[in-house]
Amino acid sequence: MAATSLDVRSIDALVEPGRVHRRVYSDPAIFELEMERIFGRAWLFVGHTSQVPNPGDFVTMDLGREPVIFTRHRDGSLKVLQNRCAHRGPKVLNERCGRRNHFTCLYHGWTYDTDGSLVHVPVPEGCSTAFDKRRFGLAQVPRVAEYRGFVFASFATSGPSFDEHIATVRANIDDLVDRAPAGEIAFDAGVHRYVYRGNWKLQVENVLDSYHVPFSHASTVNRKGEQFARREGDATGAKVVEGNKTSGDWTRRKSYTVGRGHGWTSNTALDDGKRASAVFSEYKQVLAERVGAERAEQILTPRLHNTLVYPNASIMGLNIHVRVIKPLAVDLTEVNIYPVRLVGAPDEMNFRNIRLLNVTHAAASFVQSDDLESFTRAQAGLSSLMNDWVDISRGLGVEEPDEACGGMRALATHEMAVRAQYAAWRGYMCEASV
Amino acid sequence: MNKPLPDEAVQIGREVAEQFLIHEARLLDERRFRDWMALFTEDGTYWVPAAPDQQSPHSQASLFYDDRELMKTRVDRLEHPLIHVQTPPSRTVHLVSNVTIEPDTGTGEFVVSSNVLMVEYRLDRQRLFAGRQRHRLRYDDSRWLIAEKRVDLVNCDSAFEALAVPI
Repeated sequence: MAATSLDVRSIDALVEPGRVHRRVYSDPAIFELEMERIFGRAWLFVGHTSQVPNPGDFVTMDLGREPVIFTRHRDGSLKVLQNRCAHRGPKVLNERCGRRNHFTCLYHGWTYDTDGSLVHVPVPEGCSTAFDKRRFGLAQVPRVAEYRGFVFASFATSGPSFDEHIATVRANIDDLVDRAPAGEIAFDAGVHRYVYRGNWKLQVENVLDSYHVPFSHASTVNRKGEQFARREGDATGAKVVEGNKTSGDWTRRKSYTVGRGHGWTSNTALDDGKRASAVFSEYKQVLAERVGAERAEQILTPRLHNTLVYPNASIMGLNIHVRVIKPLAVDLTEVNIYPVRLVGAPDEMNFRNIRLLNVTHAAASFVQSDDLESFTRAQAGLSSLMNDWVDISRGLGVEEPDEACGGMRALATHEMAVRAQYAAWRGYMCEASV
Repeated sequence: MNKPLPDEAVQIGREVAEQFLIHEARLLDERRFRDWMALFTEDGTYWVPAAPDQQSPHSQASLFYDDRELMKTRVDRLEHPLIHVQTPPSRTVHLVSNVTIEPDTGTGEFVVSSNVLMVEYRLDRQRLFAGRQRHRLRYDDSRWLIAEKRVDLVNCDSAFEALAVPI
């Protein structure tokens, strides 16, 4: 494998304080090593418990290079199983989701329980006397953990614990889940799926990039410099342009980084006191009945725009959704966007959220489609051999410690968050084993 | 919303229905998006589900689900000089066939079903979008308008590269 030719020193040299080498986006050998060292051992977002409410419910997916089954065992526990028959190798489950009492391979009928253990081998007299079913299960991904319905897994048997990984962004998960009057959310409103011909990190970087908005998304901004209304109860969207400049409101926004590649951007001043509609008022009232008026006000005062849970998920506070980033090849990436249903909120509020997400984050949306164009053009431009470096130096050296989050703070139009992602990237990539 | 039916309700013939669909396809292919939008009633909707047999545009994600207000935002953007995903613009050809008209249900509206194939070309790449479409047409002020258009793509639940133009 080409990956073996990459030693620590050569990987380390690809990331400098304010720039990264174009090979991190374009070199297939780097991609192979990312699959092994990042996706092969980091805590990865898998899905949400609401996708597998009952024993035997399953969702299939690839986590990095590994085809897996996300399911719930008969005892109620969550499992992430290798989706590969222990006998001759076919994928055992072929549908994207469904429910089965047992998982049976199509080829020779080997049958597994919902915890992956092998329970039936047809024509057993063909097995040697030493054959031990216990050695032929669907392997369980070694570490699986959950926080408020968000399920993560790691292929590494050791390394940073889930608590260590998630501690700094727990409050960001709370920020979304607390908006549901029942205190829980559900992924049961379908999914937006898009692909682009570009490296996975282009999407990851973009999630916390506030610099691009007035330019990449110029076609969503009206003559007054305001984006279209993206949220129920808003008369207009954020003011992103003032005259011929990025608006003051937009340039004052902050980004935060907290280590391990995680970070978030703060919200705009869009919200304060302006959000009003019958649907929104009803929702606010339902929430207040559950948690009290003061707490409801607090929950609905937007604090966060996007939160990145490195390396493969983000949570959005404006057009609420959870995004999952799936690298397919060095220059091909799939992204899944799950609308979030706020359990206990009036249907109409959830309907409005789903409807506006169609026009912000579907493949056919007004916002995301121009981002996909950016990613595709970036990948094409990065094939140039005349300039090896990608500049990520905006705001380098002026980041400030932020006591509240325990990390660092910068302007959201700076590139601190990208640099933090590459610090984490380098950590994973340069460590041969954890 | 519907006007009371006149004694002799206007019927839609096969030829008229086909001419309507051909006209709509031509507006889309000529990028006359504002004229296309004007084919819809004020309460008209344009829906492209993101799942096969999708029951609801409200409780589930869709590729497109525009009322006239969102449709206007979409068309404003398609006409914006800085729509990067249409720089350069797509060229499309729509083919419409297998047209059937469902019997009048007494509402004065007719449902016209057809198959649609859109060929889209942009920057050396050509894509195909095939599906079954359903137009609910309403006769209003001496012309037919679209009260509801639904396009069920055969690959509706696939992962798409960016889609900019309506199907």
